[in-house]
Amino acid sequence: MTAEPNTQSFEVADGSKTAFTDRSLAGWEIVSVVSSILIAEWMAVTAAGFTKAIIAVPVALAILVVLISHGLRNESMYDIGFRFDNFLNALLLLAAPVVLTALLCLLIGWKSGAPVNFLRWHPNRYLVLQFVVGFGWALIQQYVLQGFVNRRSMILLGRGWGSVLMVAAIFGLLHLPNVWVILITFLGGLIWAAIYQRVPNLFALAVTHSVMTWFVVSTLPPTALHHLRVGLGYFF
Amino acid sequence: MSRISRKTFAKLLIGKSICEALLVIAVAVGLFVATTNRALHGGLDRADAQTISGWAVDDGSPGRRIEVQLFIDDKFVEQRVANEARPDVHQADHAADDRRGFAFKLPALAPGEHQARVYVVNSSASLQHRTLQIIGGPISFRSDALP
Repeated sequence: MTAEPNTQSFEVADGSKTAFTDRSLAGWEIVSVVSSILIAEWMAVTAAGFTKAIIAVPVALAILVVLISHGLRNESMYDIGFRFDNFLNALLLLAAPVVLTALLCLLIGWKSGAPVNFLRWHPNRYLVLQFVVGFGWALIQQYVLQGFVNRRSMILLGRGWGSVLMVAAIFGLLHLPNVWVILITFLGGLIWAAIYQRVPNLFALAVTHSVMTWFVVSTLPPTALHHLRVGLGYFF
Repeated sequence: MSRISRKTFAKLLIGKSICEALLVIAVAVGLFVATTNRALHGGLDRADAQTISGWAVDDGSPGRRIEVQLFIDDKFVEQRVANEARPDVHQADHAADDRRGFAFKLPALAPGEHQARVYVVNSSASLQHRTLQIIGGPISFRSDALP
């Protein structure tokens, strides 16, 4: 392995010496967590005769890796983006891309002849309650995507377009095989990752994530979005 | 990060990968067992532009009539029960009685090469899942002219 600024030698279990850097470890962490999520999304557990609860195994392992990684790297909740001091700054930065994306959704929906319906997002649930649920789910996704994957991508590739593209590509990959949702999440991933690198605030990202989901569901053709299903669930 | 912590964390990542690999293997084996019935088998005897015929039996449940599905060029065409007379299958000890055959009358096909597949329908014990198992492999035939 070529010499790198932060290369440190580290002894593995068999006693051999291996050059093991923060960068390679960060890359390994990303692969490990993303593979867990993909396994959870794609494992045909019920068809194989197992209970659906087995999906909790890779999810729990991924959570364990993320939490231990934060501890080892001395990252606080504040560092990760669970904070309010930069909330308005982050929202201001997000405002323009969110408005542009909303207009783009309206334009695509109008061009494709899809009826606009702002009550289409889980119509059996009060919209306010759906926003609360949507915000919670968005916060979890943004925490994993930005608070973990983006931060490790910055260690691996440095701050900038390389790591931003990597985060967006991973976010898209996790929405396979839903083509429209892959495209939307890739674009959203670019915006959120770039802004997180400038102003790390997960609450602002989660607010815009839930608002954008509402707008996307309300304006784009439901047949194209396929109920936002991803992984093996896309086919059933 | 301290040296020890990094080493421990690397071991944890290896252990996690092994756990997940074992889980995926277990699910894959479970899926194979749940969706495959090795007692189901059969054969195709004739495939041309008019008819595709053959037989299908379930050794695990000799009295059961088997559902078969015909696909031509990867498109579903028809489903029927394999209950037509096939004394030769019975005489060859493949079945408990004579009525294990099927014969699909084909719809009009465009001139040219076509590929037919016949599948037996395998229902899981809980009847929650139905999977298809090919019999006799894909078979090619030629349709020469429009009727």
